[in-house]
Amino acid sequence: MAGSNEVNANESKMAVPLNTWVLISNFKLAYNMLRRPDGTFNRHLAEFLDRKVQANATPVNGVLSFDQLIDRSTNLLVRIYRPTPIPDTEDPQTSPSPATSSIFSSLISCPSPDPFPVIIFFHGGSFAHSSANTAIYDSLCRRFVTLCNAVVVSVNYRRSPEYRYPCAYDDGFTALKWACAQPWLHSGKDSKLRVFLSGDSSGGNIAHHVAVQAIESGITISGNILLNPMFGGQARTESEERLDGKYFVTLQDRDWYWKAFLPEGADRDHPASNPFGPNGIDLRGLPYPKSLVVIAGLDLIQDWQLAFVEGLKKADQDVKLVYREQATIGFYLLPNTDHFHEVMEEIKCFVSSNC
Amino acid sequence: MKREHQEIGGDGGGGGGGLTGMVGGGKGKIKEEDDEGVDELLAALGYKVRSSDMADVALKMEQLEMAMGSNAGAAPDDSLIAHLASDTVHYNPSDLSTWLETMLSELNTPPPPLPPAPADRHLSYDLPPAPAPAVSVQSSIFDTIAPAESSTITTVDFSAPPPPSARPVTGPRVSYGPTETPSDLTGTRERKRMRSSSASSSSSRGGGVAGIGSVNTTTTEASSISPAAPGPTVVIVDSQEAGIRLVHALMACADAVQQDNMKAADALLKQISVLAASQGGAMRKVASYFAQALAGRIYRIHPQQDCSLDSAFSDILQMHFYETCPYLKFAHFTANQAILEAFAGRRRVHVIDFSMKQGMQWPALLQALALRPGGPPSFRLTGIGPPQPDNTDALQQVGLKLAQFAETIHIDFEYHGFVANSLADLEPYMLDPNRTGGTVAGADEEPEAIAVNSIFDLHRLLASPGAIEKVLGTVRAMRPRIVTVVEQEANHNSGPFVDRFTEALHYYSTMFDSLEGGACSGGGSGGAVESGAGQQQDQLMSEVYLGHQICNVVACEGAERTERHETLTQWRSRMVRAGFEPAHLGSNAYKQASILLEFFAGGDGYRVEERDGCLTLGWHSRPLIATSAWRLADAAAR
Repeated sequence: MAGSNEVNANESKMAVPLNTWVLISNFKLAYNMLRRPDGTFNRHLAEFLDRKVQANATPVNGVLSFDQLIDRSTNLLVRIYRPTPIPDTEDPQTSPSPATSSIFSSLISCPSPDPFPVIIFFHGGSFAHSSANTAIYDSLCRRFVTLCNAVVVSVNYRRSPEYRYPCAYDDGFTALKWACAQPWLHSGKDSKLRVFLSGDSSGGNIAHHVAVQAIESGITISGNILLNPMFGGQARTESEERLDGKYFVTLQDRDWYWKAFLPEGADRDHPASNPFGPNGIDLRGLPYPKSLVVIAGLDLIQDWQLAFVEGLKKADQDVKLVYREQATIGFYLLPNTDHFHEVMEEIKCFVSSNC
Repeated sequence: MKREHQEIGGDGGGGGGGLTGMVGGGKGKIKEEDDEGVDELLAALGYKVRSSDMADVALKMEQLEMAMGSNAGAAPDDSLIAHLASDTVHYNPSDLSTWLETMLSELNTPPPPLPPAPADRHLSYDLPPAPAPAVSVQSSIFDTIAPAESSTITTVDFSAPPPPSARPVTGPRVSYGPTETPSDLTGTRERKRMRSSSASSSSSRGGGVAGIGSVNTTTTEASSISPAAPGPTVVIVDSQEAGIRLVHALMACADAVQQDNMKAADALLKQISVLAASQGGAMRKVASYFAQALAGRIYRIHPQQDCSLDSAFSDILQMHFYETCPYLKFAHFTANQAILEAFAGRRRVHVIDFSMKQGMQWPALLQALALRPGGPPSFRLTGIGPPQPDNTDALQQVGLKLAQFAETIHIDFEYHGFVANSLADLEPYMLDPNRTGGTVAGADEEPEAIAVNSIFDLHRLLASPGAIEKVLGTVRAMRPRIVTVVEQEANHNSGPFVDRFTEALHYYSTMFDSLEGGACSGGGSGGAVESGAGQQQDQLMSEVYLGHQICNVVACEGAERTERHETLTQWRSRMVRAGFEPAHLGSNAYKQASILLEFFAGGDGYRVEERDGCLTLGWHSRPLIATSAWRLADAAAR
């Protein structure tokens, strides 16, 4: 069906700048090679192709980063991003390698009197792809630091199909508990952890489920920021049928990723994929955090995302929907559209007003 | 290539290198190939695409998508996808244009019918996955073989002092033959006939996949990703407060030393020893070594005793390091992969090993060559090493063992050892077959394919101004087909002392943590099963091995400071300046290295990464060593 392929290419090419199209098409192509029909995943090739960056203790554009192993038993690593520290007023000239030294100073310091947000970020990749040190996510997290004057903690959660549900959620919750235990992440007169859970695609899904677990553990979350969060269900929705294959994503690949993540034998109405579906839980009356949910109008799973927003509303939860009609998946990866800039503003406002 | 600035870190002076960020950073950087017009947004995300090529790259993607049938409504072509995923060797994914071209060219050659036999069959010859017994020098293979009769082993000593009548020698003096030469090994030998092969096997399937990787425009990563010098990569594995205070105190002490505030430094040293005593594991050991090195620097204890090792002891320590953790195995394996690919189809090959030591790298390569389709080449090995203090001919011994091994696998083998105080003493004519008495190719025979190999040795040359340039010039003059370089992936050579100290502290903390945490699964040697005590000794000796490096980085300066590690980015600049271009390592080498790691080290925190056609091995998110391969930049080389 060469004709429809051409149409598809033209449609998606018209929807995004050319370099964005190249970036996302590159992922699409590579990912097509990594998913095997039998449900296994070509992890070696995936890691070979993935573009990674090292943590950098020297500030770049005002942001420095370092990695920390927070759970040896699962090799759980987080990458922490911070704004450049203010030089030691005592003796700025002679402070040893200021950035690196300040990292270690800050780790054992007391809570800061000036409040700052901590954003725990879960990268996307449909539960199977990418890592905290993948370049596209390193870049995004750095932006969040500058945008919100936040400390960002990017979680390198375990991925499917090697690690299915609930491993990613467990890792997310481990990171949250770890953050709660770091005095240096607490701030303000009340020395609180002002934590936001955020993520894109599968990361958005993880953020939601970690938030639910947080409620159960009595941890207060200041807010959730979900970018094109990944949800699904057994039924085929109108948006899925209309947009299948048109903007980089196919129903077939969505099905594959759910099959790889969900427990064997489960269908897509499992609460992990469909939190307000037939097997969902009732959030009414529970202190679920305020949410900012961003949905791209050219994302084929938007019906499920919209259903999620509806579900939160029905449970009397505070949710703000930002619907970008002409946006595709991945719009937040390159700062070259209005979608990018306007959504970043929304995030900035959301964080500052809820911190 | 035009040289735009002075050698980096070449001055042996202390602390004042001051060229941090110069290489691979902003101004002053060598313009490589063509990094102008690269799309900046994509470059920041790890992809190098020229803006002018963007539309063409998009077109290639569309073509591939159509072929793969990966859009809705089209039946996906599973066999093609499987072929691209499993059989195709991918190189340098940052260069999208070339990556796509490689795959498109695969389309022109129809893939084999499904199913291919093993899922990971590759186009190029690969090393046998588990060469464990052959690799360990300590295994019994060498001890039970009868001496080879068809190999030649000679040792040439460049370090012998000149006769009294000669004026002070600037160049090396050549003396032929060791004092004790087994009589059955010297003298002329017959050239063994090569086993004939019925079919040429050197062509690779498929049109577009180059055996050693395509010629890519190479841009230094740092130029596009970040203008500032990449700082230390910090991975905190121990979050306990005492551990953090310890690191902080060490850095403060280094700072005090740099400020020449010895009183404060001394006080801090005492604090450090108290803090270190309360620590356990890797952090305590690392802190002790760094504190010791700082003390050496503060009190001007001449570190020669501590920091320099005689080569025999150094070799022993390195062997233990080899057993304990996968770094050296990875280095050998990946370098061998590049050499194997470069030798594809060549009937006469010559490896020049700058890092001969115990020759542990070579049995695996010999084995792979013996197994390659079409049969092995005739193999010449030139091993270079330092003089031994007790005048034993270690190079000779190693050569003998390798010859014996080669005999058992029917490889025509020739060995020459060269003793040299420094690689800079070498001149091309010394390694010329005519000169060393080896067999010269007849008029009709193809010239030998040469590989030059260096494992953790090139950085030592940075301690003497001009040395690295000379050595690279010598290498170039030999017209090698491939040059393999493995180096520590760290900048321990530029910037003020404090920066170097901090970098080293984070580097070795990560390294020591890997020794501790990386399941000391007996080092994985297939032969004798290591006892607990044996493992412990290996680990201890490995720590001593690394401890000497720490001492050298921290306490030494000038010509004594030989552990002048530099990053891949910096080495790339040097190699390009010296007239080389990258020969990329591909997804097959990556995959096999990863699998080897799982075998030897139980996975754990070790990570293999691909960067700009090179492979790195690291612990968690911190690359620690990097393997790169190079060939001559001019077309005549091929």
